[in-house]
Amino acid sequence: MNKISQNNIIQNILKYIPIILLFISVLNEFDFNNLGLIYFSFNFSYILIFYYSLKKSESLGYIYIFIAGLFNDVVTGTPIGISSLVYLILCGAAAYLRNITLRPSLIKDAIFFLITILIINSLLFIYSGFILNYELSYFEQIINIIYTFLLYFLFSNLFNFFEKNILGNSHVG
Amino acid sequence: MEASRDDFVIALRSAFLKKGTQQRFSLLSLIFFSIILLILGSFNFKVIDYVKITIKEIVYRSSFIVSGPENFLKKNYIIVNSHLKLYEKNKKNVAELNLLRGKDLSQKIIILENIKYKKLIDDYYIADNEIVAKVLIDKQSPYLRSIVINKGSKNNIKLGMAVLDEGYLVGKIVEVNFFTSRVLLISDINSKIPVSLQPGDIQAIMSGKHKRGGVLQYIRDKNLPEINEEIQVLTSGAGGLFKSGIPIGVIDTGKDLEIDSGKVVNFHRDLSQLKYLKIVSFMKEEIILDQISKNNSEVLDDVINSANDQQETLRILLEQKKIADEIRVKIQKENNFLRNESIKLKKESNFLRNENVRLKNDQKNKIQDEEMKFLKMNVYYGHKCRKNLINNGYKVDTAEYRKCVLNKGLKK
Repeated sequence: MNKISQNNIIQNILKYIPIILLFISVLNEFDFNNLGLIYFSFNFSYILIFYYSLKKSESLGYIYIFIAGLFNDVVTGTPIGISSLVYLILCGAAAYLRNITLRPSLIKDAIFFLITILIINSLLFIYSGFILNYELSYFEQIINIIYTFLLYFLFSNLFNFFEKNILGNSHVG
Repeated sequence: MEASRDDFVIALRSAFLKKGTQQRFSLLSLIFFSIILLILGSFNFKVIDYVKITIKEIVYRSSFIVSGPENFLKKNYIIVNSHLKLYEKNKKNVAELNLLRGKDLSQKIIILENIKYKKLIDDYYIADNEIVAKVLIDKQSPYLRSIVINKGSKNNIKLGMAVLDEGYLVGKIVEVNFFTSRVLLISDINSKIPVSLQPGDIQAIMSGKHKRGGVLQYIRDKNLPEINEEIQVLTSGAGGLFKSGIPIGVIDTGKDLEIDSGKVVNFHRDLSQLKYLKIVSFMKEEIILDQISKNNSEVLDDVINSANDQQETLRILLEQKKIADEIRVKIQKENNFLRNESIKLKKESNFLRNENVRLKNDQKNKIQDEEMKFLKMNVYYGHKCRKNLINNGYKVDTAEYRKCVLNKGLKK
């Protein structure tokens, strides 16, 4: 009996791992800044939100994503609400893809993800450049988008492994 | 055609309007809420400001806690890395230390002179407020390179204050909260710093380019005279935001001596490794030319003069040492030459002594041989040469007798 209740607690904690990861990633980005690589950056939050909105939408509630966006704005110093908007558009795109997909495939998901991040980065560009008059480095944005797209494959497989082998959700992926 | 449009609308409606399992809000309502937040935020709506400030204070503190493990890893990574490079670094440091020791005294004099002249043109700024702060968050988004520090308006931090790391400029304060502040790093593309390039005294504006470098803007293309050192980039003090002469970085000219827009400035400090920073504001030192200031000036002059004297004495002592060294080397050379000469003469003297002894022995032998020969011949021919009744010879032991014996008797 005791063993069963202990297992339940662990399962419950594991269920909240995506949310915990999301908040850690917005409060302290996994961008390997300390390695000192000049031309390397990626957005872990985009990958996490897109993957879980697409494959297991019940894991990340929209309200948590909204709050995570607010936190991200505060941490990075961008106007409050912009990251929430971007994250929610990403969720919307993932939900749309989920609705129209009959046979899921990683390549199709990744291409759709690339198109989505290109669109949301364009939105950010327009907002930052034309409304806030921030100057942006196109080159760095492109690098960020490319690495985020490439690392989607790696993280997608890692999340699949986590869901299937640790949480035991065989229908994911 | 109609059916596919319906499918698209249904899928879209389902994605944005349908509340999923365990979702309390629909996506569309949250998107609208974000847009409202953005619009109200841009109009500086008071309620939004309060919400912002509250979230900021909570998030900055919690972010500091969350970044603990990464900071631990970062710290260990730096320790391991520095251990691996320790030997090379030490060798380099020793060489650099020797070089810098030599430059130290002249630099002190130049600094004092610089202060004096800056005071004369009323451009001498002193740090009126220095605050040491710790970096809470150094998350750098692709849109804004900034960090958050643990000092805010409570500690007299004000907008526009310069942020230094060990004397090098790393950024300026762009946002002040009660307990925390945001620093816009010089690597940010929106950071525009008026800079001066030395040598050459070229004025420009520096903007951020990437994590370790900035780029020069608004600069007249200029060819520099050939120099063998790097070009130092310092704050020019234009605009009155920073004082002039705070070091920022260097430009490695290499073979290309042309300075133009787009030249990359390599920062002195690694902006991803900031931990403790100094936040400084500067003010002009107000000196009224009264007796005290005159006295100050005289004291400064005395200090400069005594430093100059010290340098002169040092120079003379070094010259003397040089001359003494030269003399010592010369004497040593002469000494060696004389020692060699003496050894040579001793050898010659020994040789002559030996030769002398040999000659003496030869002579002695010759005399003995002659005596022997005479004695032998005396036995045979002595009676022929000796004077007696029959023979009309010579007296024994005379030279004629000896000659007669050696001639084997009297010659007829």
